[in-house]
Amino acid sequence: MPLFGKSQKSPAELVRSLKDAVTALERGDKKAEKAQEDVSKNLVLIKNMLYGTSDAEPQTDIIVAQLAQELYNTNLLLLLIQNLNRIDFEGKKDVAQVFNNVLRRQIGTRSPTVEYICTKPEILFTLMSGYEHQEIASNCGTMLRECARYEALAKIMLYSDDFYNFFRYVEVSTFDIASDAFSTFKELLTRHKMLCAEFLEANYDKVFSHYQRLLNSENYVTRRQSLKLLGELLLDRHNFSIMTRYITNPDNLKLMMNMLKEKSRNIQFEAFHVFKVFVANPNKPKPILDILLRNQDKLVDFLTKFHTDRSEDEQFNDEKAYLIKQIKELKPLEH
Amino acid sequence: MAGLGHTWPNSQDDYELLEVIGVGATAVVHAAYCQPRAEKCAIKRINLEKWNTSMDELLKEIQAMSSCNHENVVTYYTSFVVKEELWLVLRLLEGGSLLDIIKHKMRISNCKHGVFDEATIATVLKEVLKGLEYFHQNGQIHRDIKAGNILLGDEGTVQIADFGVSAWLATGRDLSRQKVRHTFVGTPCWMAPEVMEQNHGYDFKADIWSFGITAIEMATGTAPYHKYPPMKVLMLTLQNDPPTLDTGAEEKDQYKAYGKTFRKMISECLQKDPTKRPSATELLKHSFFKKAKDRKYLVQTLVSIGPSMETRVHKASKRQPGASGRLHRMETGEWVWESEEEDDDEEGDGGRDRPMNQLPRADSSDSDSEGEPAEGAGFTIGSLAAGEAPQIDLVLRMRNANKELNDIRFEFAPGKDSADGIATELVGAGLVAACDAAAIAAQLQRLVDLNLFPAPGGGAPPRSLTFRLDSADPADVLDEKGLVGYAQISIVD
Repeated sequence: MPLFGKSQKSPAELVRSLKDAVTALERGDKKAEKAQEDVSKNLVLIKNMLYGTSDAEPQTDIIVAQLAQELYNTNLLLLLIQNLNRIDFEGKKDVAQVFNNVLRRQIGTRSPTVEYICTKPEILFTLMSGYEHQEIASNCGTMLRECARYEALAKIMLYSDDFYNFFRYVEVSTFDIASDAFSTFKELLTRHKMLCAEFLEANYDKVFSHYQRLLNSENYVTRRQSLKLLGELLLDRHNFSIMTRYITNPDNLKLMMNMLKEKSRNIQFEAFHVFKVFVANPNKPKPILDILLRNQDKLVDFLTKFHTDRSEDEQFNDEKAYLIKQIKELKPLEH
Repeated sequence: MAGLGHTWPNSQDDYELLEVIGVGATAVVHAAYCQPRAEKCAIKRINLEKWNTSMDELLKEIQAMSSCNHENVVTYYTSFVVKEELWLVLRLLEGGSLLDIIKHKMRISNCKHGVFDEATIATVLKEVLKGLEYFHQNGQIHRDIKAGNILLGDEGTVQIADFGVSAWLATGRDLSRQKVRHTFVGTPCWMAPEVMEQNHGYDFKADIWSFGITAIEMATGTAPYHKYPPMKVLMLTLQNDPPTLDTGAEEKDQYKAYGKTFRKMISECLQKDPTKRPSATELLKHSFFKKAKDRKYLVQTLVSIGPSMETRVHKASKRQPGASGRLHRMETGEWVWESEEEDDDEEGDGGRDRPMNQLPRADSSDSDSEGEPAEGAGFTIGSLAAGEAPQIDLVLRMRNANKELNDIRFEFAPGKDSADGIATELVGAGLVAACDAAAIAAQLQRLVDLNLFPAPGGGAPPRSLTFRLDSADPADVLDEKGLVGYAQISIVD
């Protein structure tokens, strides 16, 4: 490797040769092997430009700015993502690293790559569909979570039809892909509080009918994870109106009471944190109150014996004692 | 749904679980057979109900594995959920861990002056370094490099395993965002001083320290301070000069067979100032590694002498207190000691926050639901915790052909080992005379039975038995106490 990088290609040259190589790879003709080699080689060069190596510092801001500009002008980011499955194992990781680095680039308070992606939302949709393909799913996930950090990009994803595909992705059989999808899903639903609350309010029925399926999933991990996230969503003060809506529906209460009795202690425990909201609600609608009253003795008995070994968890015990008291004191509505 | 050729099925029915090859607090590892591929593999079954930290930790470990594609890093195939368990499908390395092989070799031969020759050590460590180099380039620190985490395949493949404590140096694989980590993980004997100190965080160089300790381990059979309890190990590591090959030696010149280049390589790794330690890439250029040979050599010197998988699964590697296990600091600042062999977290929920960190080779009866006492587990010896693999450490004390007292240590797994089998093995290894086999087998069986099934109301069962040997020299005056013409078999607490 030349010490002073005198033979180094300019950003424009690098981007051009990478683009040529990816295009050749996409065509899939007989030179595909050579194309794949070229793609990998150029990706490493670009990565080193951005991150530096053990022998070299990252390139100056001017060079990086030129590189980013070339990437926008040639739409190379999209092309790379569209052909991610054709790129070799290390190359896929390099694409994600290059993408994330360019995405984080700032000029003052502006994030030019975020602005660029807003004009090219296909980039986001292509990344989201990456969860359909095992061999690129985690690379796409890495890039998606970086995108989700930016409100403008999170908004595009949340409000797209493709968002509902996540309810399928989080349940795929390969655990690491399902979990990766779940962490992106969670990021989208929790990162930008105001945006998320608005989204959930506007799409309450659609989201929660999908969500119900996760809570009833055959897959233990899906059930446990989605229940935990539900608790977090409902207890977030930004989502107050969503919570009040959720706890007026008796079907939701029934589901939580069933989950309290699940075999899995972890699921019981998470269910407790949703169940408590129904009980603590000072304005319980009649159908909710009726269910609680019908089960009043059984619930008191059940809660008294519920997770008694968590003696060190003060908050849990306080909450449990409060629930027991509340349920004991429940009285039918006076008419 | 994935590319061709490398897909592994995600259905429980496609796998036939074979023998247990490892047991940990929340996981069991089986050898397994994948029917659609007609191929063997290893399956790590993690009980998620016992997994009390966030699922993200688990995902990180799996992502750390799945983002590696290197011949010296354990190969991950797939993972899926089966009821409340997560099944990780991994490449099966039939040779077991380097620690298994070290222990086996120490058991069957005299390793006083060193376990392996330099060529073997160089060959294995060079492969480990290549894996580490890849790992570090990937932005990861392993954090628990030691012989127990280096696996061998039948054809001499060397792979770094166990990502349980490995962490992304940089979150989200972003190499620029975070340069050092501040968590305290690892195994004290192999742990770098800066990791112990916790003041400044640490980086890739922590693995180089552990690598240096592993080099010592391959030569002497143990980490330098293996005799000491964890806190003492911390003090010795922080206060003393860095350990060398001779740190744990009992006699002067005990390890004189090892040359200068090897010693130099070790001392370069074991510099207290991490910035002075070489990187994995630099180490690969060290002249010590010119001694490295090929895989075939490892097949001869390691794999073929190693315990067979059948034997290995019977043998739990019980280590000296302090020799293994892990100490880590909780967020509250208190130090928690976890012995890696012991299922010491059966009742407590919070203690083990990284349940996947260790899967020592240990005996286990073929327990389908781990955690439930396996057969024979009703009995406990010494400090063995309930639920731990019910395997007994024994020592047979008797005089050898030169009439010197010798301790022969071995393990006995009730339900798996037979007393006759062990006695035959001892004869086969040349450790006892053939005419003594019957007596040894009978006394071994008796001792085990007395402890496994103590007579009701009979008081504490005996911990050792002394008995006559048929091989006694008629010229000697028999002495039961002095073990002349007698042998003594004891359970090691």
